[in-house]
Amino acid sequence: MLDTIMKTKIFAWVDRRTGAEAIIKSQLTEYPAPKNLNWMWVFGAIAMLVLVLQIVTGIFLAMYYKPSAMETLGGFSVAFDSVERIMRDVNFGWLIRYTHAVGASMFFLVVYIHMGRGMYYGSYKEPRELIWIMGVVILLIMQGAAFFGYLLPWGQMSFWGATVITNLFGAIPVLGDLIGQLLMGGFSVGDPTLNRFFSLHYLFPLLLVAIVAGHIHALHTVHSNNPDGIDLDQSDPNNVVMFHPYVTMKDAFAVSLFMILYMYIVFFNPQMGGYFIEVDNYVPANNLQTPAHIAPVWYLTPWYTILRSFEVKLVGIAAMGASLAILFVYPFLDRSKVRSARYRPMYRSMVILFFIDVIVLGYCGHTATTETLKVVGQIATFYYFFFFIALLFLPRFEKTKPLPEGV
Amino acid sequence: MTDQTDHSRRNFLYVAAGGLGAVAGGAVAIPFLGSMLPAADTLAAATTEFDVSTVVEGQLVVVVWQGKPVFITNRTPELLAQLDGHDDKLKDTNSEAIEAVSAEWMDTPEKRKTRSIKPRYLVVVASCTHLGCIPLYKPTAGRADWGDSVPSDWVGGWHCPCHGSYYDLSARVVNGSPAPHNLHVMPYKYTSDSVVLIG
Repeated sequence: MLDTIMKTKIFAWVDRRTGAEAIIKSQLTEYPAPKNLNWMWVFGAIAMLVLVLQIVTGIFLAMYYKPSAMETLGGFSVAFDSVERIMRDVNFGWLIRYTHAVGASMFFLVVYIHMGRGMYYGSYKEPRELIWIMGVVILLIMQGAAFFGYLLPWGQMSFWGATVITNLFGAIPVLGDLIGQLLMGGFSVGDPTLNRFFSLHYLFPLLLVAIVAGHIHALHTVHSNNPDGIDLDQSDPNNVVMFHPYVTMKDAFAVSLFMILYMYIVFFNPQMGGYFIEVDNYVPANNLQTPAHIAPVWYLTPWYTILRSFEVKLVGIAAMGASLAILFVYPFLDRSKVRSARYRPMYRSMVILFFIDVIVLGYCGHTATTETLKVVGQIATFYYFFFFIALLFLPRFEKTKPLPEGV
Repeated sequence: MTDQTDHSRRNFLYVAAGGLGAVAGGAVAIPFLGSMLPAADTLAAATTEFDVSTVVEGQLVVVVWQGKPVFITNRTPELLAQLDGHDDKLKDTNSEAIEAVSAEWMDTPEKRKTRSIKPRYLVVVASCTHLGCIPLYKPTAGRADWGDSVPSDWVGGWHCPCHGSYYDLSARVVNGSPAPHNLHVMPYKYTSDSVVLIG
């Protein structure tokens, strides 16, 4: 298929002016991918697909969505009513909105698995540190985009979620008030906040596209890691297959399975029992009354638990910031020469425990606090940081297994 | 290595997979393009009711129908008399050129001239058929009231300020105008003696 197109005269015309053939060869048809990549390696492609879907559905939603907190005759707001109009009156509006709202959760789910893959098989280690760091930047921008997007329906959860988070930044010493006002455009979350959040919600995905391009460029410079975490001779056909068609077909198959799951949720369970779209967000924003139980959407709850685990407000905020910031230095904390957890018995137990730990943190953050859960959350928070710090000393204790010669 | 590929089988699979992919792509396009069509609440606002008896003699009223302006004029017998005698200056005297300028009830030469169900009240879409501007109402004949913005043999009607199209008092386009057609007639009916339902 691709080679038929590449033989045409039109392609030759384009190629002479763009070097398209060299790009296609170096990035697709002659780009080597390790033979032993397992199914955990498909999530990068899936994440890219979800990003594209989020952008496309978002563009179509923006044709009907109106970012205004102005009150309407029905007693709600322009923004809330425009979302309800999308759900009830716009052709297929329900489908596009649910695809977008569920897409946010799916995006995080896929990216978290993608990150877990990188952690387990040591994909963040030399020479792929920058790929990991760019990935963390992508995660932060995603969190920002999700946070901005969550305000847009102007429901109770939107409003109070935004209030809590902007107050968080407001707690930063000296500059707090200024930052809070910069975010809100006033002294509380209101109409100016909604307008600028819409603007930023539209901007951030464009940033994502740019950084994802850098992420992939860096990857294609150093080539993919593999489940054994060993360096491969990229020109040896015993080690590698060509990215296209072998990996593209595998990714396409994984994408099909993923789309079945994704669309099943969109069609049959878009709110996912309040995990993907919180029930309270169907109540219009009311700046005089906070909902009885307020928690962020599931993908932000691990960090929310870290925030809640400290008695002193400022320490909690600092810990939450640190829990994200420590991801940037993760490649430099881990000094082991062996990449894959397959050959690092101690690291393997530690990283699996870390995955469980993050799920526990997420659970604690989503549930109303009790005394027990608070302690559980604090232990989980401790382990979150312990994991990273312990990596510094791990090579002294860990006896790694011998690495295989090839794949 | 010998080539053991069964090419006809492989080509069939290519076409089958590609065909299914194209169908799936088309199916994905339906909701996205569909969402850009008028929404249910927009369609629900597709008719307009208006009491024509509120238009005084000689007056022009502009009402909104589906977001577009609609002219409703109350033509006195004198104004109706101005419709005669200039058939040779009109591009489409009997409103036959396209479907949009005609209507089922235009079944007599008289109705083709007045272009209205009740001769007195003209109801037409107020968008110039050239590029959609709203023409200015200049009902009296001659240049006395309008100066040289109208031709010397002005029979009374509309003058479009954008590119100088002229229409007579039945909104029939005058020769020499850039507009190709008479002003469009939209479906309407009288639901009582004086109330029209447009749309």
